[in-house]
Amino acid sequence: MMNAPTQTQSQSQSDEAGDMPGIFSGYVPRAGVYDELTTAGGEVRPHWRKLVGALDRLGREELTLRWDNARRIIREHGVTYNIYGDPQGMDRPWELDMVPLAIPPLEWQAIEAGLIQRARLLNLLLADVYGEQRLIREGDLPAPLVQANPGFLRPCHGLPVRGNIHLHLHAADLARAANGQWWVIADRTQAPSGAGYALENRIVLSRILPDEFRDCQVQRLASFFRVARETLRGLAPQNPENPSVVLLTPGPHNETYFEHDYLARYLGFTLVEGGDLTVRDQKVYIKTLEGLRRVDVILRRVDDNFCDPLELRGDSFLGVAGLVQAVRAGNVTVANALGTGLIEGAAFLPFLPGLCRRLLGEELKLPSAATWWCGQPKEREYVINNLEKLVVKPAFRAGGQEPFFGAAMTRANRAKLIEAIRERPYNFVGQERVALSTAPVWLNSKAELRPLVLRAYATAAADSFVVMPGGLTRISPATEDPIVSMQSGGGSKDTWVLSDGPVTKVSLLSSSGQPMSLGPSAAELPSRVADNLFWLGRYVERLEGTLRLLRCILLRLAGEAGADGSAEISALAHALVRRSLLPDRFAGRVSLKDLEQELLLLIYKPERFGSARQILGSVRSIASVVRDRFSFDTWSILNKMNIDARSRPRRIPVADALALLNTLILDLAAFNGMEMENMTRGLGWRFLDLGRRLERGMQQLGLFRATLSTSGKAGLLLEPVLEICDSLMTYRRRYFSGVQLTSVLELLVLDVGNPRGFAFQVAALAEHARHLPRETAAGAGNDELRQVVAMQKLLQSADMPRLAGTAEQGPDDALDTLLSDLMVELGMLSNHLTHHYFSHTVATVS
Amino acid sequence: MIYELSHTTTYNYSDTVSLSHHLLRLQPRELTRQHCQDVDLKVDPAPGSLRTQTDYFGNQLTFVTVKGAHKRLTVAATSRVEVLATPPPSVEASPAWSLVRQQMLDQDPELAMEAGEFLYDSPQISLIPAFQEYAQASFPAGRPVLAAALDLTNRIYRDFKFDPKATTVATPLTEVLKHRRGVCQDFAHLEIAFLRSMGIPARYVSGYLETDPPPGKARLAGADASHAWLAFFCPGTGWIDLDPTNNLIPTNRHITLAWGRDYGDVSPIRGVILGSGEHSLKVAVDVIPADEPRFRF
Repeated sequence: MMNAPTQTQSQSQSDEAGDMPGIFSGYVPRAGVYDELTTAGGEVRPHWRKLVGALDRLGREELTLRWDNARRIIREHGVTYNIYGDPQGMDRPWELDMVPLAIPPLEWQAIEAGLIQRARLLNLLLADVYGEQRLIREGDLPAPLVQANPGFLRPCHGLPVRGNIHLHLHAADLARAANGQWWVIADRTQAPSGAGYALENRIVLSRILPDEFRDCQVQRLASFFRVARETLRGLAPQNPENPSVVLLTPGPHNETYFEHDYLARYLGFTLVEGGDLTVRDQKVYIKTLEGLRRVDVILRRVDDNFCDPLELRGDSFLGVAGLVQAVRAGNVTVANALGTGLIEGAAFLPFLPGLCRRLLGEELKLPSAATWWCGQPKEREYVINNLEKLVVKPAFRAGGQEPFFGAAMTRANRAKLIEAIRERPYNFVGQERVALSTAPVWLNSKAELRPLVLRAYATAAADSFVVMPGGLTRISPATEDPIVSMQSGGGSKDTWVLSDGPVTKVSLLSSSGQPMSLGPSAAELPSRVADNLFWLGRYVERLEGTLRLLRCILLRLAGEAGADGSAEISALAHALVRRSLLPDRFAGRVSLKDLEQELLLLIYKPERFGSARQILGSVRSIASVVRDRFSFDTWSILNKMNIDARSRPRRIPVADALALLNTLILDLAAFNGMEMENMTRGLGWRFLDLGRRLERGMQQLGLFRATLSTSGKAGLLLEPVLEICDSLMTYRRRYFSGVQLTSVLELLVLDVGNPRGFAFQVAALAEHARHLPRETAAGAGNDELRQVVAMQKLLQSADMPRLAGTAEQGPDDALDTLLSDLMVELGMLSNHLTHHYFSHTVATVS
Repeated sequence: MIYELSHTTTYNYSDTVSLSHHLLRLQPRELTRQHCQDVDLKVDPAPGSLRTQTDYFGNQLTFVTVKGAHKRLTVAATSRVEVLATPPPSVEASPAWSLVRQQMLDQDPELAMEAGEFLYDSPQISLIPAFQEYAQASFPAGRPVLAAALDLTNRIYRDFKFDPKATTVATPLTEVLKHRRGVCQDFAHLEIAFLRSMGIPARYVSGYLETDPPPGKARLAGADASHAWLAFFCPGTGWIDLDPTNNLIPTNRHITLAWGRDYGDVSPIRGVILGSGEHSLKVAVDVIPADEPRFRF
């Protein structure tokens, strides 16, 4: 059993002892609650003294600065936690507190031993329930705990489990009671979350408090993840030298998607969604651009029941049809094993001491919070008679009910609850409320007190379990709030497990945040990812085209409104009408004020089709699902781009709008630069660039058709078009004469050397088409190449002086015909790509 | 009785399907009163893989994968099954229903292993108070459990109308209770819900029923259908089958295919296809007494 840490009397010479130091002044623990920082006598506990002293020396101002810094790092890393139904929705930043939770070495050793024992015990319990069920047969485990438990998956009974490791990762939520004792209040056994956030917390905190981190001799986390990775790789049924391991995520809408992506990168596994995998002949494959590749191990973050629509929940779109069969045939390892959610409910807690004696011949080291399962008559009556003292919880987690706090319920609701318990007693437990311990958090430039729960992790090793020396400390959002959960909006802390001696450093990461070694598995490109990268390329380019077009016309609106200027403006407005960006009324005579307001809407209004904000929204949402393909730096550029939603975009000064457009154009340039300089020239990059070139080509053709081949207006728009295409300087250097249509067409359409010209895009597309994988489908690669060659021929035979001559004749002129033919070819190229590489088949259940 | 059984399922897909996985529970169970011979399963197009195993409830489960483009899938299961007539269980020998309920509540491991699975909520049967309210009238104090169950069966037969148009596989049980219409599957689910609400273990049975051709007419091929009923557990006696659709205790005209907690555990055929289009389904079932002359069209 664990003991409360000794309460050292402080007659110490240390200057930190005694009164609370400056930055912690005013921090007063609550009576009857264990405080992590201070003793009942109000003195700083010995293991906190070094940290408290160091933070105090930094001072209030410096701490606040560093706290801002931490928040910036979190934003740039894109650390988010999605809260369902939250207005901030998908992009809620992760909340990390400045002050870590410190735990002394001896105390941690007891927790560690308890967690190892618990993981071994739960693993054996799972093996029995999904195997012989001797525990039920021999009366050690009441049958309803399994039979009435929605987490018991009958199709998973008797599945082979490699190495008998049902739990690859186990998490336990620990709370510390007033007497200093740590209690387990819940177990997470099917796909525990939070280990990645714990790692990210550590990376951020050790960056903003580097000296403090080193001086406190904090135990490192990396070796835990190394064991987790090696164990997983060792569970591969075949291919032991170089197993293919994937991390299966429910997708970007999941609350902890950030972590899935983060862990996949950190551990060097491929991040996949259910649709990326397929089962053939009881084997699991990943669908890549180069065909099917075998998968050996699946680290899953999809809940048990959703993993296979064939044998488990038929309405699941998150799983892989036939996965259970593949496991049954022993061809793939799923971690944690399918069905492990069974024991997440509190109903098992009261039986653990007995099971521990029975299965391990040992006393349970880490106690669980006192729990009564109502499936037993005596326990049921106890719970009903003591409702005001207890929390009533669902016995099984898959039930998905909220806990009831008896003390806070009305008499009528209590009666209703009692009726529900009597009706189906086996579905309920009563649990003693553990008064959570408190610790200081840094809020509004001072230390405040908050209750906390520590989520600790154990991972399977060769023949036992290894505990993460640290964990995810979660804090409740309010001083008195008894509920601690990320879903209810609390924050988190790094957990510093102190060591007696110097700490050795192990890391899986190089400084850039990339895994040390990328196995071939990480190089595989699922078709879905190629599809997303292609469209990311297209949206990014579409955004740039739109921004440049808007900037060109806004500049003229902001500057001169003279006679010449206004003719140019109305020609540009007319071009925007032809591009379907402005309503028809702007084709004729327009008031400049009206046009200005309409253009502002075209920048800021998210629901307006084709607006910059709408396209940026598409860029962001598509980027978020391929986040694992970009470095932190690249991602932080994308993350930073923002077009503020203003309630009244019409009132924004044009100068502000222009400044925003300039910033965004530069951000895009930075993103493009990162992509050019940092992205490996694999298929992923190729599809991103394909999207970009194809879209730029389309944007150009659309622009030229709307401007250069419009009767009477071409002359007016030559300069703006050069400007939009960023080619005005080049033109002036090359052609000393005034701006002429023939020369403009040569520079913007035919010149292969101008990256802002059309011919350049075609050349790039030709290069890509030659390197596309050809085994994916009949005609793959070759059809695309044929399309590009057709465009090259059209360009070669184009006689620009003649075309320029006809351009004034009207919309059906020869120039327009050429541009529209090219447009058709580009469209067909896009169709071929979609058909050959992105056509996703959808699974339907019948 | 010996029957020639044939159960053919044909899927037609509007779009080409590139890969399909199916789970089949089409092979009758081997029981003391039921023996199968000449079990055969034909899948067209020829499956890439076909494996048969025993599922958690002891049913024969076949897993079939068809690879390569196809627009139609046919699964034809045939067998020859002998079903022995069993003497009807005696009402007098059956214990009071409250005794059964208490025995199950006591969580005796042996009874729990035999019948505990079938006492609680299952994916398609969620126990709500309305079920107990309906069932109670059949369960006065001290009544033998078989008498209570037979009364319940009779009330369902009387109160509910057989109406194939009233429900689909997806209709919730509460709707069936409210509108008092449905088919054999609904009635089986209902009676299971009633019995479980009273604390009596009950399981879902899928299978076939020999039907009589119209008087003076020959039997039509494919005119029969899958059938469903239930069984409840009585300690000491074992499982007793009940058919609320026909208000009787099944004997040798009912052929047992599979059992489980509800339809979801035993659906004869369940599949996941990779493809985007619609599909239509045709099922033809024949239950033909082996000594009967056959007419086919």
